[in-house]
Amino acid sequence: MNEQQNDETVLNDLPDSVVHTKKRQFSIVWIVPLVAVIIGGWLIYKALSEKGLTITITFNSAEGLEAGKTKIKYKDVELGQVENITLSPNLSQVIVSAQLAKEAGKHLSENSRFWVVRARIGASAISGIGTIFSGAYIEVDFGKPGKKALHFKGLENPPIVTTGLPGRHFILEADRRGSLDIGSMVYYRQIKVGQVVAYQLAQDGKMITFKIFVHAPYHNYVRKNTHFWNASGLDVSLDAKGIRIDTESLATLLVGGIAFDVPKNTRPGDLSEEEAVFILYNSFEDSQQRTYTVKTKWLLHFDGSVRGLSPGAPVEFRGIQIGKVQDINLRLNTKDLSIKIPVIIELEPERLIPDVEFTEDTENKNVKEVPGNVKGIEHLVAKGLRAQLKTGSIITGQKYVDFDFHPDAPVRRVNLEGIYPEIPTLPSTIEEMGEKITKILARLDKLPVEQIGYDLRDTVQNAKRFTHALEEKKTVEHLNTTLQETQQLVAKLRKNAVPEITSALKQAQKSLNAAEAILSSNSTLQHKINIALDELAGAARSIRILTDYLEQHPDALIFGKGKQNED
Amino acid sequence: MKTRLPIARNASLISCHSCHLLCKGPKKYVVSTMKCPRCGAILHSRKPNSIARTWALILAAAIFYVPANVLPITTVISFGKAQSDTIMSGVIYFIATGLWPIALVIFVASVFVPLVKLTILTFLLISVQRKSTWHQKDRTRLYRFTEIVGRWSMVDVYVVTILVALVNLGSIATIQAGPGAVFFAAVVVITMFAAMSFDPRLIWDVKEDTNE
Repeated sequence: MNEQQNDETVLNDLPDSVVHTKKRQFSIVWIVPLVAVIIGGWLIYKALSEKGLTITITFNSAEGLEAGKTKIKYKDVELGQVENITLSPNLSQVIVSAQLAKEAGKHLSENSRFWVVRARIGASAISGIGTIFSGAYIEVDFGKPGKKALHFKGLENPPIVTTGLPGRHFILEADRRGSLDIGSMVYYRQIKVGQVVAYQLAQDGKMITFKIFVHAPYHNYVRKNTHFWNASGLDVSLDAKGIRIDTESLATLLVGGIAFDVPKNTRPGDLSEEEAVFILYNSFEDSQQRTYTVKTKWLLHFDGSVRGLSPGAPVEFRGIQIGKVQDINLRLNTKDLSIKIPVIIELEPERLIPDVEFTEDTENKNVKEVPGNVKGIEHLVAKGLRAQLKTGSIITGQKYVDFDFHPDAPVRRVNLEGIYPEIPTLPSTIEEMGEKITKILARLDKLPVEQIGYDLRDTVQNAKRFTHALEEKKTVEHLNTTLQETQQLVAKLRKNAVPEITSALKQAQKSLNAAEAILSSNSTLQHKINIALDELAGAARSIRILTDYLEQHPDALIFGKGKQNED
Repeated sequence: MKTRLPIARNASLISCHSCHLLCKGPKKYVVSTMKCPRCGAILHSRKPNSIARTWALILAAAIFYVPANVLPITTVISFGKAQSDTIMSGVIYFIATGLWPIALVIFVASVFVPLVKLTILTFLLISVQRKSTWHQKDRTRLYRFTEIVGRWSMVDVYVVTILVALVNLGSIATIQAGPGAVFFAAVVVITMFAAMSFDPRLIWDVKEDTNE
């Protein structure tokens, strides 16, 4: 009880707290969830606003691509990420779906291109080394604005030209692809200035068109008269100086290349515009052949057969080509039922270079006009210019049209009645020859062959008669005289030469007798010889005795003969 | 037996937070500021504004809980390959590689515990506000549990900070803390504050009130 009272007193004795009445305030703590809401809201807004488009790209292979990791980049700026990789229903392709940032989505169009950047080692370049460590990524080139698209076909190889690269595209037409490929270099004076971007077969399949890209500022060197040629591989030429091997660069040996330049001795023309079309020549030599833009058409009428002449056959002037045959027709004249063969040719008058530069105000009126126009040709025809069919090759029988001056040819003028002015022709040389031979034969025909035969027989008979006369008279006389002269000659020989021969014989007799006396058996010479021979026999004998002794006693040579009985 | 326990609040007594001086409060409970007559600290019979404050913090934590789990917590850059991981993707990774214990630890510490804390606190708040008398002892136990276990969720944040500091080998391997880590830390800290701001005595106040 006491304790409780005590407690109560203690409690009652406790001091009162100081009370400040204060209006209840909004708790500051609510700022925390407010901030959380703001941050959360901002995160949601950010996520929503950045949530881009989901695009799908098809590739042949998903090599190096990983869902949730592979990035989509443009100029090395991350724009998105691969979300999912699936196979197409027919298993032929890989469908990559990716999230692309919203701002990137604005630029997406059907012209956008996607390709996988991975390490590539080609003959001419190595690229994407960085991706060995970082992993492959998908690069995008947005391309020109166009229709919106969300499904794309991925490129298997990186495109050579990306949008915004300064330079120009050109189209080249060629017969063959050669060793050119996408990525083959384009050279200008052996400087790498561009690359082949694409190539495809023309629709009719008769040509290949290459699309090349020439980087700025080199595209300024592509003029309207620029010639492109295939610079692939080696150009080996053998001449008096030896073997020369030319190549644009080592790389063209491997991957092929294209070079271009303005042909020699020509002024560069105007700049070419984008996607201008050019011919791709097969070699530098081909490209250097001048092309002539001015072409005039003329008509020729040949009287004889035009067998062997075909469209495209050359038209030459003394062996130099000045044009070609365009067309050969067969025309029936319904009035007189005559058939003509009009041959239309194309001349390139630029090939004929006048010694005077023609200008509008050429005052020298004596200078004839260029042969490009009718008047110019008229002048030349007046001087005897004629066309003639000639055989180019005896084996194939191909013919060509030859122009030359024939001052003796019958005078004719340029016929201006038809669509094309007609240049007079001459019959071909073979025709001419044929005509001449016929003429000769005709003349031969007229010759009095029989009369000539008779005459000849008469002549022979006369000759016979003549020889008979000779036999009968003069020959016998001649023989008689010859015999007489021979008789005289023998008589002379007998008179002079015989006594001298007899004396010579007598002398020879004497010499022989003397020789006999010397050599007879009882002569002194014989006797002396016998004695000498006996002496020689004696000498030989003693030599034998000596040698025998020496054989037994060789020491006798040194010690002398000595005593005989010593043994 | 209806013996009234001598509860400080019923006796209008307030203990100072700072110097623990027991002093009389105003007779009637009014919303006002009381100061300790000895040390001058502000006196509260109960934690002021406890329910509202806890609610606010729980709400904030709940909001942050979403980005903490959605956003990547770490970004590992190894040989140029960047790989961002959220908490759950890390757990899934460990499960996939067969490291079940680690996955369990991460999941419990980083995903389950914060969530449980938030639910427990929400449950406590609601029950207090509804003046529930249901299992008051157990609810107090739950509260204690949240207070004790709360700080362990920070392990995750510590691991991330240590990793970021240690693994910095240039291009070979670098670990960067993701934005998720910040939100996760915010969740953990805010729930700790929420647990602190909750006054468990409120659970028992109901009893006294009903007894009264």
